[in-house]
Amino acid sequence: MRLFERTFRRANIPIKYSEGFNPQPKLSIANPLALGIASCSEYMDIELQEKMPEEVFINKVNTQLPEGIRIVEVKYIEETKSLSSLIRWSCYEIEFYAANIKSIEELEESIKNWLKEEKIMVTKVKRKKNRIIEKERNIKNLIGNVIVKLKDTNAERDTKFIVLNCLLRAGDKGNLNPRDFIMAMEKYLNIGIDWDTLEINRVALFIETDGEIQSPI
Amino acid sequence: MIDIEKFNKVLKRVEKPARYIGLEKNSIKKNLEDVKVKFAFAFPDIYEVGMSHLGLHILYNLINEVEYMACERVFAPWIDMEEEMIQEGIPLFTLENKEPIKNFDFLGFTLQYEMSYTNILNMLHLGGIPILSADREDEDPFVIAGGPCAYNPEPLADIIDFFVIGEGEEVTLEILDMYKDFKKSKGSRENFLRQVSKIEGVYVPSFYQVHYNEDGTIKAMIPLVEEAPRIIKKRIVKDLNKIYFPDKLIVPFIETVHDRIPLEIFRGCTRGCRFCQAGMIYRPVREKSIPRLLELADKLVNSTGYEDISLISLSSCDYSQLQLLVSKLMDEYEEDRIGISLPSLRLDSFSLDILKEIEKVRKTGLTFAPEAGSQRLRDVINKGVTEEDLTTAISYAFNEGWSTIKLYFMLGLPTETDEDVLGIRDIGYKVKDMFFNQPKEEQKGNLKITLSASCFVPKPFTPFQWVGQDSIDEFNRKIYLLKDNIRDRKIVFNYHDPKLSYLEAILARGDRRLSKTLIRAWEKGCKFDGWSELFDYDKWMEALLETEVQGDFYALRERELDEVLPWDFIDSGVSKKYLIREYEKAKAQELTRDCRLGCTGCGINKSFSGGVCN
Repeated sequence: MRLFERTFRRANIPIKYSEGFNPQPKLSIANPLALGIASCSEYMDIELQEKMPEEVFINKVNTQLPEGIRIVEVKYIEETKSLSSLIRWSCYEIEFYAANIKSIEELEESIKNWLKEEKIMVTKVKRKKNRIIEKERNIKNLIGNVIVKLKDTNAERDTKFIVLNCLLRAGDKGNLNPRDFIMAMEKYLNIGIDWDTLEINRVALFIETDGEIQSPI
Repeated sequence: MIDIEKFNKVLKRVEKPARYIGLEKNSIKKNLEDVKVKFAFAFPDIYEVGMSHLGLHILYNLINEVEYMACERVFAPWIDMEEEMIQEGIPLFTLENKEPIKNFDFLGFTLQYEMSYTNILNMLHLGGIPILSADREDEDPFVIAGGPCAYNPEPLADIIDFFVIGEGEEVTLEILDMYKDFKKSKGSRENFLRQVSKIEGVYVPSFYQVHYNEDGTIKAMIPLVEEAPRIIKKRIVKDLNKIYFPDKLIVPFIETVHDRIPLEIFRGCTRGCRFCQAGMIYRPVREKSIPRLLELADKLVNSTGYEDISLISLSSCDYSQLQLLVSKLMDEYEEDRIGISLPSLRLDSFSLDILKEIEKVRKTGLTFAPEAGSQRLRDVINKGVTEEDLTTAISYAFNEGWSTIKLYFMLGLPTETDEDVLGIRDIGYKVKDMFFNQPKEEQKGNLKITLSASCFVPKPFTPFQWVGQDSIDEFNRKIYLLKDNIRDRKIVFNYHDPKLSYLEAILARGDRRLSKTLIRAWEKGCKFDGWSELFDYDKWMEALLETEVQGDFYALRERELDEVLPWDFIDSGVSKKYLIREYEKAKAQELTRDCRLGCTGCGINKSFSGGVCN
């Protein structure tokens, strides 16, 4: 947020500010990404004081953004509902090496069975000052879909190097951190994930209209 | 370059990985193969602290402006990162090119605080650079240091190859240019040290031998080579309007301690508080002009996008045209929602008027530093603040709607009595009464008074450089005296750890015999001593004992005025005669006026020119 506010100021983009004692820029990130996760698909709402052509906006902002962050598309919307209230799903690519995988098919099968369980419980550890609070929650309904693939760059076709394409709940009505998902999977299936090889990349965010999953833009 | 695969792996395991990735807006990454001089700017604390230091931004951009030079940054990795680096065999590296610091020509530390010294040793070790200057070879970088603590460089004498005393803008480039020519000549390490010691402000500790008296005090300090001057004169920049100031600053991804534009409005201070080292060593006062400041502010806002400009100096309310500067900046930036802030406030209504203007809506807490609890003691330290100043300022503040007040004090100031100590409590109670004596309908907000006390550490180049510090027991007694006497829900009393201040006092006025103690403390695992969760007093005590160094000799002992002090060979511009006179006046509780009102004869105008002394 701070990064964008400063970038917009450098780029001379007239952002709207809230009224009141402590005016805040009218920017909001659709679904903030957890630390340590890459993404090629982020969205945010921005309110401008005045309209400017989309390509001018993109150019100005991109020249001021730090390396590694780029705006790819902008669109003016009439919608008054914020993106963050519309987002329902997030799609991640989760790749890792797991020592106990025998075959893709077997892994697919065990994931399928795992997702049929009545409850999938994870324990969340939170540190509050000096106290450690443990919280149990059921994430079963937050998992949409899981597809198993071999890692592309995996020349030897080693079945232990795999990529999961996961559709997980995101947004105000339920949000699942992909790291919690993968830790739960390891807990239940015990496939021997080497955590150092874990790479998570968000590839898409989705909204839902009439039960149908759609791109937000 | 370090092994990037390992680095990426490690990043996932540590907190705040943005401390180590670089890539920030306005950071400068040159191809190191293409430059002639590689300088690693080292800050011996974590990223968030180091990135808040203005000197880093100045020197970083200054050096990088020169096409054939590169300056990169390195900070002390936090303990989680250090552990991972050791485990993976990653040497300490710079943020820009991820280049091991060992491969640089210079590793330049800034000395802001004595209790960061063990981090210097730790960083050298993590970088694979020998701790002792004497053990370094031709392929090792020159390990150099500057900053305020370099005014007593002696505790680091065995570790640092050479020090730079004073302001770095000009002398740094002189040194790096000399090195560029030296590199062509392929001379030895010692050759370069001999050459560089001829540059004014440079001090090469290995070129001097210190002789001691039987009682442990210093007898003499003798130069061993003809290039080494007997007296090292500090460097200053004459005209702050003409000297380089960056027009862009690195904008960190994560929040730093001072996350805003630091606009330096002047250097030096004329107040003459007798405990304050900065007030002495940064003399003379040199202001930047309003046009220059507006020009810089404009460039910096455009290049950083920061939402706040902080007008920094040692005593910003003393800027001669502050009102005008503030109103011009407000006119320019209010509409863009860029705030103006002042880091330090004086206790007068003039300052508060300005504060009122810049904080039109937000009423954050107010902080004042009366420093001492009684008028008598404030006179001893020459803090020209009266009880009346305080009450006027506070009642003004309450009137304007402030309700959170923080007051800073020092315990253990010279001549302090229990009455002075309890004066701190009295001020707290008085402020509280002032709030509740207002008519009920005028009491705005929820009153909170914080009384914060630090333990006085006598510093070199101040009129108190000769005094003995209070012992830890005495500090604790005074702290409990206050604690037991402050019983009020509205008043919070905070205090610093006297053990830490004791060690700070040892290092602040120590000599070169302390190098081995520092090394021993580090070997025992001391690092980040300024971080209370990591500070280990017992290890330090063991280190002192094992290296046969008496801490009390440095911290608690009152020096004779004719004793040779470890830093006497440095000319800060302020004469010893002046310091002695101020010390005598302190004991007699006599004030010395602000030297803007007339010269008080500190001597700075004899050897240096510039600023108000012209």
